[in-house]
Amino acid sequence: MACQHRCPVSSPSLRLRGLTKTVGSGRAARRVLDAVDLDLMPGELVAVVGPSGSGKSTLLHLAGGLDLPEAGEVQVAGERLSGRSDADLARLRARHIGFVFQAFHLVAELSGEENVRLAARFGSRDAAGRVASLIDAVDLRSVAGSLPAQLSGGEQQRFALARALVNDPTVLLADEPTGNLDARSGETVLDLLRRSTDSGRAVLVVTHDPAVTSRADRVLHLQDGALG
Amino acid sequence: MRRALRRLRGRRRRVLTAAALTAAAGLAVGVAGTVGYSLATGYDRAATRTDQPDVLGRFAPQRLSVLRERLERLPNVERISYRLEVNRVSLAANGQSKRNGAVHVVRPGRRGYVVVAGRDLGSRAGETLVERGVANEWDLGIGDSIDVGGLGSLRIAGIALSVDNVAFPLATVPRIYVTEAEIARRFGPDDDPGVNLALVWLADSSRLDVTLASARPAVFGLRTEQLLTRRAVRQVIDQAAGIVIALLAVFGLVACACAGVMLAAASAAEVRRRAPALGVQRALGASRRQVVGGEALDAVLVAAPAAALGLGVGALAATGPTAHLLGFLNEVAPGSALLGPLAGAFAGLVAVAAAGAAWPAWRLNRRPVSALLRGGDLCAGPARRRRARSGGLVGLGAHFAFARRGRWTSTVSALAVAGAAMLLVLAVADLLVSLRDDPGTLGRRYALTVPGEQSDAAPIARIPGVAAAAQRSTVQAADSFSLTEPLRVIAYPGDHVPFEAPPLAEGRRLASDSEVEVGLGLADALGLRPGRELAIQPAGSGELRFRVVGIVRALENDGRVVYARTARLRDADPSLGGPIAVRLESGADRGEVVRRLNQAGFQSSATGGATPRNRSFLGVLAAVLRAVALAIGLVCLAAILQTLALTTRDRRRALAVLRATGAPPAAVAAVLAGTAAALVVPAVVLAVALQRLLLGPIVAELAASYATLPLGVGATGILLVGGGLIAIGAVAVLVVTRSAVREPVAAGIERDD
Repeated sequence: MACQHRCPVSSPSLRLRGLTKTVGSGRAARRVLDAVDLDLMPGELVAVVGPSGSGKSTLLHLAGGLDLPEAGEVQVAGERLSGRSDADLARLRARHIGFVFQAFHLVAELSGEENVRLAARFGSRDAAGRVASLIDAVDLRSVAGSLPAQLSGGEQQRFALARALVNDPTVLLADEPTGNLDARSGETVLDLLRRSTDSGRAVLVVTHDPAVTSRADRVLHLQDGALG
Repeated sequence: MRRALRRLRGRRRRVLTAAALTAAAGLAVGVAGTVGYSLATGYDRAATRTDQPDVLGRFAPQRLSVLRERLERLPNVERISYRLEVNRVSLAANGQSKRNGAVHVVRPGRRGYVVVAGRDLGSRAGETLVERGVANEWDLGIGDSIDVGGLGSLRIAGIALSVDNVAFPLATVPRIYVTEAEIARRFGPDDDPGVNLALVWLADSSRLDVTLASARPAVFGLRTEQLLTRRAVRQVIDQAAGIVIALLAVFGLVACACAGVMLAAASAAEVRRRAPALGVQRALGASRRQVVGGEALDAVLVAAPAAALGLGVGALAATGPTAHLLGFLNEVAPGSALLGPLAGAFAGLVAVAAAGAAWPAWRLNRRPVSALLRGGDLCAGPARRRRARSGGLVGLGAHFAFARRGRWTSTVSALAVAGAAMLLVLAVADLLVSLRDDPGTLGRRYALTVPGEQSDAAPIARIPGVAAAAQRSTVQAADSFSLTEPLRVIAYPGDHVPFEAPPLAEGRRLASDSEVEVGLGLADALGLRPGRELAIQPAGSGELRFRVVGIVRALENDGRVVYARTARLRDADPSLGGPIAVRLESGADRGEVVRRLNQAGFQSSATGGATPRNRSFLGVLAAVLRAVALAIGLVCLAAILQTLALTTRDRRRALAVLRATGAPPAAVAAVLAGTAAALVVPAVVLAVALQRLLLGPIVAELAASYATLPLGVGATGILLVGGGLIAIGAVAVLVVTRSAVREPVAAGIERDD
């Protein structure tokens, strides 16, 4: 049974059960996730750390429905991701999931503000009304009309964060959000991530950055396919 | 080679896309090349196969001995055969009949035709050969019988093909052949039979002028109707087929050029996409020459099998309709002779693909390796001022297209050329219809003709709704000096301009009985200009001389026409007649005028156009044109598919991020629709401009330099081609979107482009 927007405290915003994924094929095949379980509660910021290639990004992709697991199940806001059509999965992502990537991945032809507005097209009707306030919240009003190539890394990542939050998602999934930033910019982004949990949003961060783990509610280690 | 094959296996889907585009271009070239080559060379092939004589002389019936004595003294003659052509003979077979048949009575010796089925006429009694067109139209085979007026029932021994005229029913006269021995059996022997045709084969065809110069005095005193050279016969056939054949042949050339442009653009786009891979090769120590050679080899390996397949399919698809078309003209399909041009087209396509890959690779390789590694054309060249874009998902897709200016330019150019070619097809089709149905296309202003004498013109002119009426006489004639340039004299008692007024290219309108206007086709053939003298020999009368005062752009009779006044022609031939041409008042109801003419005792008929009215002939033409248009449409589809696939590949991560933020498949389709629109919309605009300003005029000039062909394109054509390209774009968007959303989102985010 799906909860409407923010689930009760007793119900996890993100639930992973028995998640299994193998990458590569033949002799190069490697199981990076082996029956992984995780409950991410509303308002919680959980950091996942692990060596390079341990499957952190894969975990995030499976949690957000960007890829399909070989086994196991993902529930976001009480809704199962498996067995859905592409369009259905897209609707669910638009409503409940926000992504932040290490390399920002803003569309190069669109200004920072247009990138945020583009994501708002896929969310609820009031998403477009949140664009201006979010840009103010990430303190980017003065450069809202600039193209990504004209922005610093920190500014790009803050626009990417605004884009992830514009549809007011239940879960925010961040893949090395400070990995390409200097310390000061990283700190700003981290503040924004932390603040985003105030309204009950759950945040799952994959990181190598100790500054992130120090601000997390829980830190989980992913190694040899196991999360603990 | 092995390494190249490995490289290609590594990018299988892209190779398949490139191969599909090459095959589509091959298909277009195969169809257009087969049509163009077959039509352009059909006559010469048929002339050789049927042993067509170098000169065909038509005379009033003479004794064989008289003609022999005159003609066999001519220089450079290898052989002469004589025939008697008997006209207006009734023929009937298989439930079909005609009263205007022609029986050719042949004598031993060279025949001037080829037997394509059965056997030639021999000594057996009661046998005949029928012309291929008659056999096809009446469904006659070997052993069937045909009733011949005056000769009774004859058994068909063979089917003959001769190239001195177009085939029945395009030619209105069905023809059969019988031997002189057969006639002798029926009517008794004649030691000096009558003949009216002389088929002359020369020892040296290049010295035709010497023979013709001697022929003129030799036949002096005989009622010579015509001395037709092979070239003149060809003109007669071309005239019968109308402007259509010239248009199709030129269209074939244009279609081949279009396919070449598209293929080169596609090859260039593929190399630009692979700029980083080229950079890696350079960084690993490959020389510029090795890299360029490798790209060219890759292109050849992909293009060779695809081009062969496309050419083969295109040629096979066009062979049937083209052979049918040639059949109407009594011409012969090329058969294995087509292999040579197809091999040339194959080499050309492969060369275009290789050059299309090698040239941009060479240009890219002039840039620093670091620039190539970053994507080649994206970071090369002077920095462009960029500004943020808006316009929603469709606008974003359009910006994706514009961001790759080289690719956008080449794809839009290719689509524009293809679109212009399709517009040309429609314009040609429209022209065919108007040539068939609309006399105005020929510059004719009269709407009706009425059989009658000049004295009938006055009462007809008084009928309400009639603006003017005058007798229109036409006379077949030849240029007096060489007797080899057939021409048509069109004469009115007074001013011809109220009835037909082809535009003046030079000089002025005629103002007296001794002046003429000549068509540009004839003026070019005889070197005529205003002020020169034209000497003509009308069939069955003596020579007439006129002063040329104007050159007109007349489409009728391939521009080999002369406009004159009736008086001098009637002096030479008092029996000269012709129907009354009736010009209607502006806004007059033609039906009402026809009714009043009937009441006054005149039977009228509507004025037609220039092309043959045979419906199956036009049906075959339509099939050929449709095949060409279909091939071009497939090339367009392949071009749009490739560009969308390349854009999806380039923007794989952006599309994946869009999908990660919740964009449904419809949103991805909207983005790709924007990309397709950025290609199709400017291509349609350019296509219209290209057709109107370049292709139309070029084709019109090449097909009929002697007239102004209306090859413009109307709103319907633009809507059809624009709509067609949009539909093709929509199909491409659906195909590529389906493929793009099938990939997991994570795959697009993880990998570098």
